[in-house]
Amino acid sequence: MNPADLPRDAVATTAEGLLDAVRAVARGPLAEVAEAIDRQGHYPREVLQQLGALGAMSAHLDAPAGRGDYGLALRAMAEVSRVCGATGFMVWCHAVCGLYMQASGNPALGGDALMAHATGRTLGGTAMSNPMKSYAQIESLLLKAVPVDGGYRVSGSLPWVSNLGPDHACGALAGVVDERGDVVREVMFLLRCDAPGVELRDCPSFAGMEGTGTWALRLKDHFIGADEIMADPAKPFIARIRGAFVMLQCGMALGVTQGAIDTMWAVEDQLGHVNQFLDERPAELQAELDALEARVMKLAQTPFDPSPAFFIEVLDARAHGAELSLRAAQSALLHQGARGYLMSSEVQRRVRESHFVAIVTPAIKHLRKEIARLSAEVLPA
Amino acid sequence: MNTDAPYQQYICDACGYIYDEAEGDPDGGLAAGTRYADIPDDWACPLCGVTKADFRLYRAPSREELMARSGAAPTAVVRRGGPAGVVIVGAGRAGWSMAQALRERDAALPITLVTRCAGDVYDKPLLSVAVARRLDDGALVRESGAAAAARLGVRLMARTEAVRICPDTRSLRTTRGTLRYDRLVLAHGAQACLPPALPAELCWRVNHLDAYRRLRAALGDVPRDVLIVGAGLIGCELANDLALGGHRITLLDQASHPLGRWPQQQAADPLLAAWQDLNIRFVGGAQVQQLERAGGALRLTTACGQRFAADQVIAAAGLATPPRLAQGAGLAWHNGIAVDAATLRTSDPHIHALGDCIAIDGQPSRYIEPIARQAQAIAAAVCGTAPAPYQPRAAVVRVKTTSCPLTLH
Repeated sequence: MNPADLPRDAVATTAEGLLDAVRAVARGPLAEVAEAIDRQGHYPREVLQQLGALGAMSAHLDAPAGRGDYGLALRAMAEVSRVCGATGFMVWCHAVCGLYMQASGNPALGGDALMAHATGRTLGGTAMSNPMKSYAQIESLLLKAVPVDGGYRVSGSLPWVSNLGPDHACGALAGVVDERGDVVREVMFLLRCDAPGVELRDCPSFAGMEGTGTWALRLKDHFIGADEIMADPAKPFIARIRGAFVMLQCGMALGVTQGAIDTMWAVEDQLGHVNQFLDERPAELQAELDALEARVMKLAQTPFDPSPAFFIEVLDARAHGAELSLRAAQSALLHQGARGYLMSSEVQRRVRESHFVAIVTPAIKHLRKEIARLSAEVLPA
Repeated sequence: MNTDAPYQQYICDACGYIYDEAEGDPDGGLAAGTRYADIPDDWACPLCGVTKADFRLYRAPSREELMARSGAAPTAVVRRGGPAGVVIVGAGRAGWSMAQALRERDAALPITLVTRCAGDVYDKPLLSVAVARRLDDGALVRESGAAAAARLGVRLMARTEAVRICPDTRSLRTTRGTLRYDRLVLAHGAQACLPPALPAELCWRVNHLDAYRRLRAALGDVPRDVLIVGAGLIGCELANDLALGGHRITLLDQASHPLGRWPQQQAADPLLAAWQDLNIRFVGGAQVQQLERAGGALRLTTACGQRFAADQVIAAAGLATPPRLAQGAGLAWHNGIAVDAATLRTSDPHIHALGDCIAIDGQPSRYIEPIARQAQAIAAAVCGTAPAPYQPRAAVVRVKTTSCPLTLH
């Protein structure tokens, strides 16, 4: 079955129907190219567009672009990540770009543009790693916007922005500078990769997940106007969407962990007699994963809860997901033994994917630092 | 340029790549020895692609400097494996009393103490006295956290936030990693309440040493106009001690007289009499409506339209247990963490609690005296020694007004 051939309504009438269709894509065409994505830099455009056509990358968006169901979006992302963490990550990139477009309320980014994005006809990502770290007081803003007639001219460089290509777009943020060069506020905008003043530059090789369409972005006097602007000023907008942004990443962590547990069970019949002596067994890890998934699903019911207590919960669930994926992948390697040490082994890929879940923004250390910052009692300066 | 100048290093702010002038970037077209100033503007960081503009001068610190900066002292090897032992959350009087009571009964029990603060040992009731005497914090700290930990054989995780209890795996998630426990003891205390009309960034609450340090610095060494909102026990002691410290105090409360929990003849009347010669003005029936900056000072407005100006505002509006840990773990809750009176056990058999964070039959008891007895009860249960059931008693309260100390029942 090729889900892309089915009419969208036929597979997407129920949440379970959508998840079945996503599983079919993940275990079929995606599984075939997972190794090439990880090692050879194959960018799975067709798979992403199939997932988009199913509605798997837009389930969180409000109708008509999606179903307003964050839990479903997370579960779909987890099904993809269970087979290929790199593609799960790109589903997240695309999903949050859709979130920015819809939440912006900008008519130029809604309507047809949003529908094209929601259905995967156009693809996009997010250049928000640097701004998110900037808000958490971890680094400073790398893009600067100078006000000009009708908009801004944006310059600067961003390292390592994913799910990009020459015909892609991404949500980005720049510091608006005054005449003295001081940042006075921020502006968030849709950055189209084919626009004048935008250059995609190659990145060095990564340890894995090479096919994620990851580029360095260089902007030189790139003009953004009313049609591109998502939020100006951007801070209240970021405060509104930050919970949903981080929460959606949990789908990646849940899926990569599940994939690692799957590979432990795969050798249980032959190796269970020795694997029983290992520290973390698949049933224990599964119980912890199920509890975490239940926690995330509960958070997914109120993705826009503005309270700091809720955001801390989201940050900690995301951190738990990263920690659990590391433990599960490590354990999967120990369970598989020598066969898991083959370069071609799926377990090797799981280990690299789990490392990625742990270090991609927000990394475990960022999450903990932000939890500590938000937990501190606010007193006069 | 002086070509003999030593080569320097420049670091990429985006990815941490270090450009060393001595080595250059031959793959990027920069020969060894290329000075930063001579790098063309379109050169790109070989790792992440940002340009020269995102680099800055860098001097790599020595290993010794890094050790000193992180506060890392040579430490004992942290034990892995074996029994997880007891994890205590909080390093106030309750947390340290707990550690001590456990250690007295079991020399080998692994004990880990997790705390948001530095873990220094001090007496919280003396915080307001310290304000009066303008003591610096060194005079308050009886023993550093590190010294107390060494003395009791406790692993102290200072400046660490306890984030979530996972009862099913018996683990505590923290901002410095996840800890397993056999028994968990919550001793994290209560937090000062903030009336909704008072913005947190304009208003002090003095419930721990860090806050005291900062308030002390903000007051400086000259007399100030200080507004205290709340005339309960803490508010009255602060008013008394700040006035003794030379500050001009306005004390507000919704009630018509201070110490409203006690009969007026027994508490408020003698208190106000004792304050006659101090610079304290009590204003009753005052409901705070707004607090804002006005010029260099703060302006507080009440519901009935009274206005007060002050250099500093302190809220003393009572305490409440922060619910995050207990409620995240699904522990029974009734005005605080609900515990069994005799055993101080929560609704989870592996979790106990004591001190300001607990409530017995819905009744919190935020005094010093019961803490030692509570710690003994828990330690006996955890170590399996002779039971030492806790018996709640009505607290006797001393109001430390220096001129006329009051005892309240």
